[in-house]
Amino acid sequence: MKISLNWIKDYINLDGITVDEIVDKLTMSGLEVEDVVNQNEIYKNFIVAEVKSVVKHPDADKLSVCEVFDGQKTLQVVCGASNVAANQKVVFAPVGTIIPNGNFEIKKTKIRGVESFGMICAEDELMLSDDHSGIMVLDENLMPGNLIIEALGLNDVIIEVAVTPNRPDALSHIGVARDLSAIFNRELKIPEIKLTEIEQPAKKVASVEIIDSINCPRYSARVILDVEIKESPSWLKNKIKSIGLRPINNIVDITNFILHEIGQPLHAFDLDRLADKKIIVRSLDSKIEFTTLDSKKRELPEGTLMICDAKREVAIAGIMGGENTEITESTKNILIESAYFNPSGIRKTSKLTQLQTDSSYRFERGTDPNITKYAAERAAQLIAELAGGRVLKETIDVYPEKIIRKELSLRFNRLNKILGFEIDDNKTIQILKNLGFELIEQTDVAVRVLVPTNRPDIEREIDLIEEVARINGYDNIPVVPKISVTLERKEDHQKFEDTVRNILVGLGFNEMINNPLISEKEASLSGNPIKLANPQSIEMSCLRTSLISGALNSVKRNFNFGNKDLMLFEIGNVFNAVNTTEIRDFEDFVENQNLVLVLTGKEQLKSWNAPEKNFDFYSLKSFVDAFLSKISLENFINDSYYSKENEIFIYSYQKLFENKVIGAGGKIKKQILNLFDIQADVFLFEFNLSEIKKINTPALKFVEPLRYPKIIRDFAFIFDKKISFGEVEKFIFTQSVNLLKKVDLFDVFESESIGSNNRSLAFRLEFYDEKRTLTEDEVEKEFNFLIEKITSNFNAKLRSS
Amino acid sequence: MQEQLNQIKAEFQNEISNADSSKSLEQIRIKYLSRNGIVTLLFDKLKEVPKENKRELGKSLNDLREFVTNLFESKKNEIETQSSGLTSEIDLTLPGNTIKLGSKHILNKTLEEIKDIFKSMGFSVFEGPELESDYYNFEALNFPADHPARDMQDTFFINKKFLLRTHTSPVQIRVMEKMKPPVRAIMPGRVYRNEAINARSYCTFQQVEGLYVDKDVTFAELKGTLVSFAKQYYGDNLKYRFRPSFFPFTEPSAEMDITCFLCKGSGCRVCKNSGWLEILGCGMVDPNVFNYVNYDSEEYTGYAFGMGIERIALLKYGINDIRIFFENDIRFLKQF
Repeated sequence: MKISLNWIKDYINLDGITVDEIVDKLTMSGLEVEDVVNQNEIYKNFIVAEVKSVVKHPDADKLSVCEVFDGQKTLQVVCGASNVAANQKVVFAPVGTIIPNGNFEIKKTKIRGVESFGMICAEDELMLSDDHSGIMVLDENLMPGNLIIEALGLNDVIIEVAVTPNRPDALSHIGVARDLSAIFNRELKIPEIKLTEIEQPAKKVASVEIIDSINCPRYSARVILDVEIKESPSWLKNKIKSIGLRPINNIVDITNFILHEIGQPLHAFDLDRLADKKIIVRSLDSKIEFTTLDSKKRELPEGTLMICDAKREVAIAGIMGGENTEITESTKNILIESAYFNPSGIRKTSKLTQLQTDSSYRFERGTDPNITKYAAERAAQLIAELAGGRVLKETIDVYPEKIIRKELSLRFNRLNKILGFEIDDNKTIQILKNLGFELIEQTDVAVRVLVPTNRPDIEREIDLIEEVARINGYDNIPVVPKISVTLERKEDHQKFEDTVRNILVGLGFNEMINNPLISEKEASLSGNPIKLANPQSIEMSCLRTSLISGALNSVKRNFNFGNKDLMLFEIGNVFNAVNTTEIRDFEDFVENQNLVLVLTGKEQLKSWNAPEKNFDFYSLKSFVDAFLSKISLENFINDSYYSKENEIFIYSYQKLFENKVIGAGGKIKKQILNLFDIQADVFLFEFNLSEIKKINTPALKFVEPLRYPKIIRDFAFIFDKKISFGEVEKFIFTQSVNLLKKVDLFDVFESESIGSNNRSLAFRLEFYDEKRTLTEDEVEKEFNFLIEKITSNFNAKLRSS
Repeated sequence: MQEQLNQIKAEFQNEISNADSSKSLEQIRIKYLSRNGIVTLLFDKLKEVPKENKRELGKSLNDLREFVTNLFESKKNEIETQSSGLTSEIDLTLPGNTIKLGSKHILNKTLEEIKDIFKSMGFSVFEGPELESDYYNFEALNFPADHPARDMQDTFFINKKFLLRTHTSPVQIRVMEKMKPPVRAIMPGRVYRNEAINARSYCTFQQVEGLYVDKDVTFAELKGTLVSFAKQYYGDNLKYRFRPSFFPFTEPSAEMDITCFLCKGSGCRVCKNSGWLEILGCGMVDPNVFNYVNYDSEEYTGYAFGMGIERIALLKYGINDIRIFFENDIRFLKQF
């Protein structure tokens, strides 16, 4: 919201206070100043100049070469505007001037071979408006050489204030002035109404009826006859322009002026176009189509609060007037609406119609129900002054149930308890008074006040505490560098995640973070996606059901950047609907924390002492096992389930715990890679960390290192290729007594020489006992027993060494 | 004579230790070990020595020559290895193998640093779901239905009742529902906003929420805690300010600004010429919030705060486009 400091000085004396101080104090008391345009500063070099002559640029169709008189000398200036003409008074930026819009400096320059010593300006270049249709043409009586700060009265300071949604009272110049009055403890001057009325009472001419008084608790109206619609005087136009609005005509400008002065939105109807000169406020029984004054047809749903005349709808209450009753050049008699609408009703309509106006913005935040009459009178007074109308006697004021001020108490010790330091009681009271609170009772321990009705946000004692705290200044609250230590049990629910991250970084993985919002197509690859009701795009219409698509997208992006060798991981939440498509309750979906590992490209680059090696399925297994071992679960999640092709993988395996899948991965299938436009082998494993976290592992216990020697034996067999290592390994352990502790596979060999359907597997066996030294004999016996069993069970042939 | 030998030995030791090139080494060789070198010439003197002393002196001379030769050879080796990298066994200059170095995402690294500070102050760490109900995300945090405060956060909805949480504040409610005061916890997590993706904003980011509820928690302590955090994270010379603001779930509410560390407060593009950077929102827990979790707001007071991780990392590392966090370009990831 733009606030003009010149304008605000109509309501408060700010003499002796610098602009910087005002800006700083506003920000530090809750009205954050986002931008300050000090016209005295930014316009200091601009002057009025006179265009003496204009000729076409010899080398450019759209440019002119002008002789410009700056009050002392005549300068040559190249100008691109089509409206430039001799004898015009214009805004001139001499060499060295900084142009506010774009912040660039005017330099002596050559434009297509013609020298130019300055610039003739358009409104947008001065940031006076967005208008770039041509240069500004000034009043012909202005003197060349005069500063525009003086000549055009551009000596204001415009501040942009960000008003939080709880402060509708601050959405006007008087509202901001009220805060300043409390900050600087200076008097707030509210304009007095000086109204000359004619004898004829308004209610004899027009009438107001509220049917829906829930949504419209109050409707005040003024009737003014015989007005002349014309241009506003320059003081009003300047005020309107200073806050970035465009003057229209005297009536519209007055309603806009009051909106920004008091914060009360007004609407002016052409009285003669209101059927039976009647206003009826009611909600729609059924949807209608309605043309607003911007000439747009809008569909309005049932229940929309409307202003109607005797026959039809004439305005969307609190949002925008209708074309059918708007003020025109020929309007003579007008009815000014100054109403209070229920904030949530206005907000609903504004949302449904996607129509937000300066009016709806204020009504949905809450205006002051008790200011409507004053605002109507203020409007009537200005209309009488500026449009020459006759004001009918009295405000028509329908206000069935008066909204009264709330009573609230503030305990001084409560204030101290919340803030942690003492504010002087008198200071507290002074702040509240300056903000418009009326003191009704004061004791040693508390004060009782009436809350002004322009402060719908103030409902409780804590709200009063905030008012006092912010005006007194948060800076004045001490910084207490202490925190009381209660020795309750501390918990860290992210400890496991942090551990997992550290392990994977230690294993050499780089961590990714992918957008959890993905396309339905990707989300449907695995799982049961949950859709957004209001997605930004179809690419981001679902929550991820797994971390796979994010990982593959990142692989693809890296390929595009030329990075082909990747070891990536991500920890993130995934979302799946459970047995339903409609999420009605937390039982209808599961949100799990997953971990994905991705490998692609080379595990080992070719180097002088090592051959090149690509990542493969076994690399994936190594990392999965290493990870499980580091989180001390290798003895719990050691059950693997291998499978052939499924939706995602050409081949894959799962890790199980108590028959529950806690992770799965393998080599990604070509069809899936094609979706992501990836031409390389990708190996991926995804864990469900939420499930892993639930596994109760017994506390780690010390295991004494083996004190007795191990006995190592090797053997190799030729097997039929259809027999897997896993089967043989499992078999060996089922046959062995307790002496065999470990089986390692140390060679796999295939050759025509052993038959094309065969392969040789070579095993290294480790025998030992924790309590004694084994004898060669017992190991030999066991070893031979195994040879016999393997040979007979798999029809395998022992290879001689 | 023996004295002379000791002196020669000491001089040689001194010279050889200062030798730093094969050239200076060669000069030393000539000086001591060549045909006319000091040590060689000493042997000539042996002839002049009386017979009875010859044996003893001969031994001393041999010892000296051995000492000088050994030291010279080892120094020679050292200088040669140093310049070529070659030893008799291996070429030391051959490169080692590249070890794949892992990396944490800079956002999670930033989060970890923040967590560490608060954990050291006795805060626990809690989590809550990203797919949240309207009740936890808005209602119990004192956002009335149909209130413009809801417009402060552009929301992704699943339906009327469920949404993607727009802040980590709902975890405050979940923690307070589970526990009785004192509660002191931070609640990091991912949040979502329906905002256009561009260099300055993204549809998701991470926040750290903080909450402390006990019998005598004050605004002054809130300031103390956050100033301590900011100094630990940004440095002791930090300037800061607390500015009134509005959040439905805190009253009074504030935003904390610190001096822009790019322009040091003189005003620049990053701080929009204000000299200040907003780093977090905070305030005293609103009594209405306590009502929702059945805490007695007369007995207990508390403070809460929340900060965005992406913003902190952008500022700290001088990154000018937020999208790079989510591209996962390995060249970016490996920098941290």
